[in-house]
Amino acid sequence: MTSATQTIPTRAPSGLTRILNVTRLHFVNRGQIVVVPWMIMTFIFAVTLVIGWILRDTLTMKELADANSGMQYSGAIGYFLVYMLVIAVMAISQTFPFAQSYSVTRRDFYIGTVLAFATLSVLYSLAITVLGWIEDVTHGWGLHVTLFNPSYLGPNVVDHFYVFLVLFLFFFMMGIATASVYVRWKVNGMLVFFAALALVILGLVVLATVTSSWSAVGMWFAATGFVGVVSWTLVPTSLAILVGYLLLRRAAPHN
Amino acid sequence: MTAAIEVTGLSRRFGSVRAVDDVTFTIQEGGICGLLGRNGAGKTTLMQLLTGQDFATTGTIRVFGESPVENAGVLRNVCFIKESQKYPDDFRVKHVMKSAPWFFGNWDADFARELVEEFRLPLDRKIKKLSRGQLSSIGVIVGLASRAPLTFFDEPYLGLDAVARQLFYDRLLKDYAEHPRTVVLSTHLIDEVSNLLEHVLVIDNGRIVIDDSADNLRSSATTVAGTKSAVDAFARGKQELHRDSIGGIASVTLGGLSADDRRAALAAGLELAPVSLQQLIIRKTSTPDKEIEYSA
Repeated sequence: MTSATQTIPTRAPSGLTRILNVTRLHFVNRGQIVVVPWMIMTFIFAVTLVIGWILRDTLTMKELADANSGMQYSGAIGYFLVYMLVIAVMAISQTFPFAQSYSVTRRDFYIGTVLAFATLSVLYSLAITVLGWIEDVTHGWGLHVTLFNPSYLGPNVVDHFYVFLVLFLFFFMMGIATASVYVRWKVNGMLVFFAALALVILGLVVLATVTSSWSAVGMWFAATGFVGVVSWTLVPTSLAILVGYLLLRRAAPHN
Repeated sequence: MTAAIEVTGLSRRFGSVRAVDDVTFTIQEGGICGLLGRNGAGKTTLMQLLTGQDFATTGTIRVFGESPVENAGVLRNVCFIKESQKYPDDFRVKHVMKSAPWFFGNWDADFARELVEEFRLPLDRKIKKLSRGQLSSIGVIVGLASRAPLTFFDEPYLGLDAVARQLFYDRLLKDYAEHPRTVVLSTHLIDEVSNLLEHVLVIDNGRIVIDDSADNLRSSATTVAGTKSAVDAFARGKQELHRDSIGGIASVTLGGLSADDRRAALAAGLELAPVSLQQLIIRKTSTPDKEIEYSA
């Protein structure tokens, strides 16, 4: 036997193909990253509609106006955003060891994963923008309820899309970075990570208090505006992408 | 012949544990190589190192001439089927069969379908709900249908029944004959696979204790039985791997008998019997004191 007949070298896929295959891998079973979150969203939506309907039938016009103005600041959608972080953590911690069994390099896995969640961010913020627009046009689904289009977003559809895109990116990429800590150092890593995170936040609070700069912080938020503050999250988002890569690059899928 | 795998001075330590301890060996391209050893001997760690899933503490690894770590060019020719492989939650069998072709360029979908039928694997069932044997058969199917030039099977048939194991051996041999490649097979069921193996590596406590062709190994030890006095006389000065005795009858396993030795044994009225690969490996890895130097 000669070595020439031994092996049939596999076709060489380009770097981009390899990366996109990882992206597809995240979508091969859509249950966890698409179906479950939108079932939750549908549930929140249904509850909101029922509350709106009860209020309409039981309150006087004056009370209804008060209730609706209160709803303008609905944060229900915030839960959905935070849940995105959970989804990203679960998806990466489970898909990484699996992708390793498909002989995927960590680099291809990471880029493909970031791409998968960036794609989800675009799709989800588009969906919420469209729902927000319908909500606007139908005057709160005919019931004056607010879910997808909280008033602090302003009326601009482009702003609406931009804000959600940046927020989805923030939560997904935080999830990716957190999952990278997990696959690199497992439970011990998580403990140290959350302890460190708590200390950093505590440190910032202490710093602001000691230097009596809470009013300055408040002024900064007021001056920067909602869209501006959201834009600033792009800094931690980018950092999370970078740090996640550095961590995952040396992670091994031990059992 | 060219080397599929070349390992030099490879070690992997976890704290003070030497999972792989200064290992040097070569696996030639083409052929089925058995990577044998006891639980915790370092088999899985070694294969994780060879497939770039883990990082060496010291030493070098060359797979098809290059380091496998983060090397897409090498890894696309490698498939590693791990006994303890985790799948994403809520994954169904069909999700694996759908995504595997994206990552293995030689994937044969028809062959995979055939195997799914033969192993009676329910495509639509959640992987979490599969029996241990069915879980193993997913790995077996991916490992065979991917036709990777270098395929690792790490305990591929935990929980598989005898019929399914035989099916695996038959399919492996047949497909290997039609599509030659390099297969590294790690298992406890040594006698079951001994006819498949062309080369044997035995790892014990992180060290390679046997690295030889299966043929050499089979002829490397012989059981000699007869009256205790005759056996003792014959065994004197020879490498004794194992001894059983009942009353005046003794049976010893001796290493490295020459043709002259065999004639002498027969002349002395002793019985000679071959030692199975499994027996041989048990003899060589169960010795608690210093390792027996192996000579072919």
